[in-house]
Amino acid sequence: MIQVTNITKTVTTDNGPLQILQPISFTVTEGQSVAIVGASGSGKSTLLGLLAGLDTVTEGTIKLDGASLETMDEEARAQIRGQKVGFIFQAFMLVPSLTALENVMLPAEINGSNNPKALAVDALEKVGLSHRASHYPNQLSGGEQQRVAIARAFITQPKILFADEPTGNLDADNSLKVEQLLFDLNQQAGTTLVLVTHDNELAQRCDRQLIMSAGQLREASMQAATERAS
Amino acid sequence: MGFSLAWRLFKHEARRGELSIILSAIILSVAAVLSLSLFSERLQGALNERSAEFIAADRQLSSRKPIDLEWLNQAKSQNLEVAEQVSTRSMVFANEQLQLVDLRAVSQTYPLKGNIKLSAEPFAIGEAVAEVPSIHEAWLDSRLFQVLNLQIGDEVEIGDAVFTATRVLTEIPDAGFSVFNTDPMVLINMDALAKTNVTGPGSRVNYKAYFVGTDDALDTFYSSIKNELQREYHRWLSVDDDESPIGESVARAEQFFLLASLLAIVLACVAIGVAAQRYAQRHFDPVAIMKTLGASTATIRKVYLYQIIFIALLGIVLGTVIGFAVQQVVVSALAGTVDVSLQVWYWRPLMIAIFTGSICALLFCLYPLLGLFAIPPLRVLRRDMASTLKSRGGQYLTSGLAIFGLMYAYSQNLKVSAIMFISGIVLVVLLLGATYGLIALGRILGQGRMSAAQLAWARIKRRALDNSVQLISFALTLMLLLIVLVMRNDIVKQWQEQLPEGTANYFMINVTDAQKDKLAEHFANNLVISDDLYPVTRGRFAKINDVVLRSEVTKEDEDSTNERRAGMGREANLTWSTQLQQANEVVAGEWHDAWSYENSKLGEGIYPVSVEVEAAKRMRIGLGDVLSFNIGSEIVSVQVTSLRQVNWQTMQPNFFFVLHPDAMSRFTPTYITSFFLPEERKPELAQLLRPFPNVTLFDVDARINQIRSIIDQVSAAVEFILVLVLVAGALVLIAQVQASMDERQRELAILRTLGAQGGLIRRSVIYEFLIIGSVAGFMAAMANEISLYLLQSQVFKMSTSVHYEYWVVAPLTGAIVVGLLGAASCRALLQLNTSTLLRKVL
Repeated sequence: MIQVTNITKTVTTDNGPLQILQPISFTVTEGQSVAIVGASGSGKSTLLGLLAGLDTVTEGTIKLDGASLETMDEEARAQIRGQKVGFIFQAFMLVPSLTALENVMLPAEINGSNNPKALAVDALEKVGLSHRASHYPNQLSGGEQQRVAIARAFITQPKILFADEPTGNLDADNSLKVEQLLFDLNQQAGTTLVLVTHDNELAQRCDRQLIMSAGQLREASMQAATERAS
Repeated sequence: MGFSLAWRLFKHEARRGELSIILSAIILSVAAVLSLSLFSERLQGALNERSAEFIAADRQLSSRKPIDLEWLNQAKSQNLEVAEQVSTRSMVFANEQLQLVDLRAVSQTYPLKGNIKLSAEPFAIGEAVAEVPSIHEAWLDSRLFQVLNLQIGDEVEIGDAVFTATRVLTEIPDAGFSVFNTDPMVLINMDALAKTNVTGPGSRVNYKAYFVGTDDALDTFYSSIKNELQREYHRWLSVDDDESPIGESVARAEQFFLLASLLAIVLACVAIGVAAQRYAQRHFDPVAIMKTLGASTATIRKVYLYQIIFIALLGIVLGTVIGFAVQQVVVSALAGTVDVSLQVWYWRPLMIAIFTGSICALLFCLYPLLGLFAIPPLRVLRRDMASTLKSRGGQYLTSGLAIFGLMYAYSQNLKVSAIMFISGIVLVVLLLGATYGLIALGRILGQGRMSAAQLAWARIKRRALDNSVQLISFALTLMLLLIVLVMRNDIVKQWQEQLPEGTANYFMINVTDAQKDKLAEHFANNLVISDDLYPVTRGRFAKINDVVLRSEVTKEDEDSTNERRAGMGREANLTWSTQLQQANEVVAGEWHDAWSYENSKLGEGIYPVSVEVEAAKRMRIGLGDVLSFNIGSEIVSVQVTSLRQVNWQTMQPNFFFVLHPDAMSRFTPTYITSFFLPEERKPELAQLLRPFPNVTLFDVDARINQIRSIIDQVSAAVEFILVLVLVAGALVLIAQVQASMDERQRELAILRTLGAQGGLIRRSVIYEFLIIGSVAGFMAAMANEISLYLLQSQVFKMSTSVHYEYWVVAPLTGAIVVGLLGAASCRALLQLNTSTLLRKVL
């Protein structure tokens, strides 16, 4: 589903070019859930941005369900995102001037779905927030906002779901609820999940764990084996 | 999808008050432009109506030969009202005495605008009548009753006809105002003119036709006869051609209104620019989200263009309603002072207001929107990512072009638009320099312990570019307010100076040399203060250089309706003095006070003369030209050694030709003087003049009162325009402060969370706004000076001066107003509890 081959990312700074990602390669198969863990500043979010087609690689190739992102312009990547990708963010990223229902409708509308409203009502139902449909984001708690975001992420039945610290802004109780909801829905839909997190417990719920450190990526199992060997 | 999403966003944002800043900016711009231009259009209409009285019609055709009857019939068929007047100089005979008079024969419909005023006895206050003399009647000027020793009911002979002097003529609307060359007037019926036989061959007769109708009808009529008019005979006059003090005051007021409206447009642009910037910034996240969710740039573009169109439409509708209401209130409030009709509706202001609203909204939103469209989707992960659209040059260019385009479209006056625009650019450049200067200064001052002042400096430093935009908008607003304020002060002051209390309202001519001292003494005894006595002698033009005077110079002679041209005919009133008169300024050559015949370089028998500069232009004479006058039977030759600019708006005797006294030592002059007599002492006039029966008196009191009342009206209107612009400016300032407070919310929330005391935060914000306000005020004062100089010298033709007081007032006011507004908005923010504040911004 996701095929990453030798990608690097270099940015220009006042002190010259800075490589934030060393050459990285890995593959994620359909329906697999992958957690990318690592310290702050290790490059996790940069990698997520590249995988989701929000940013462009400096070198290498990324294939998303067969489509080569590096050859596409912003418009084409947006189209791919609209058709195949769902997102969940740490900061929820709801449009403040739209209600919960309208926020959920948004991707379906952008995608040109036939009945975005019915789909959104259904999606809100699934996350248990149908009674909050007409509320604005600032009238919802953090946990509720993230549940709206999850409903939004699943409304277009994406093949791949990218989640950036989905529980990072939530308390323990809400974190658990959101986590549960995320994995339940993921399982039901058979979506490929790529999740960036600090949270080891959350990471452990995924099929695979990739560890990001100083711009380099390793499989967790390999790292565990290396640690054991040393 | 674009439309429905845009509509939903618009609906929710409007309901939640999130559009208030940009919406109020558009409402403000439309309301300000509509109310100002509608009011000024109505006022101009009223003033034009008033000015029309001075030519007794909307248009006047003056001719030296009888006016083609076909033209008059054509005018009537084109739905114009028509009246006629024939005037000539003739002798009136009564009581065995003859007197030269200005005879006017008028048609039944005369005057089409204004009134004939009559009184029951000489030198009394006249009352308007709606009739003209019957064919047996003659209405005579007060002076004729004095000179010819007439009583009401006496018979007078004019040419071959006999008339009864039934009334005293005190005023006709288009009498003109001229002390010289004006013989006392006699009004008779046009049908009685033939029997007088005074307009036969050889007599100098002036024919006038008057027209009243809609502008369109008048223009159509004029174009249809235009090609048949002969330059040497015909003159087409409209109210705009009124060169009298009133005409100039009205013209100046109109320019002021135009300027005020232009400034209102610029204010509106500034307000919308600031608001649009803020609006775009607030939508960075939603755009990034939509892009992340797969929206194409075209979709985003559609969503936001629709949004702006919805906002603009709502703003225009509300602005129109509010603008109309404000204007209605102002007109009703002014009803007692200014005669402005509420019945008349003008479409132009509405069009301009809608045009301004839409152009401002679209053009000023364009660049912020372009920035918005360029927001990278990656912002959803990296919140600090801003628009990838970097250059602000594009923004400045579009905004500049939009403002200039609007100013030009509105004023149709390249000069005014260019002046305003250039001073704006100078201000922007000054401000950019100042901002970076401030930042450098801040870097030095902002080091060390975190006090409120240092927090303020730190903020200014950090947000250099944002602050420069903010500073520019504050300074522009302050500058525009200053321009309107100072222009209003200067205009009103110059108007008041023109006719101060105690302005001479009577002129006396024909005072003899022997009577001079006696007259002064007599007046002093009667507690009447008279002006200086100016010697006057009539001289007939003989030659200019060695050329016998060409006929074109004489064409305009005896045109008593226009004091400027009086003295430009075959005869001129000559005075002599070594002392330059008040309100006269030598603009070329040298004033002749130091000249003496012994050291003269002018040649044998030639004396210096100073000529009024406009007269010189018309007569095509310049420095060094030698003019010869025939005085009595002698020739006096003078050389032009100086040209003078004369302020004709002062009610004092002024002269086209001022000779050196030596040139005139051979002649016995008569003298002209003026004096002021309050209205309640009017009955004493006859007794005051009894010892000097030969002296002729001119009563210009009515004329002065007319000018005063118009000036009062115009001043009152100018005041209201000032208030309107000040209110608009204050609203713009409030919007700006609110917009910038919005940007500060995040920082305040963090400081608050970190435990900063409300006092510290408030003080730091107040310091910041004080600094920005005073710098903006200072810069505004500088730019104000430049634009005022250009406006006053190039457009308003006023005397210019430096306004030092505003160099202090503007920074102080800027600091106080901006500081107070900042403190007020900050206070509102700090009243929220910290978690609400955090929730609001994070």
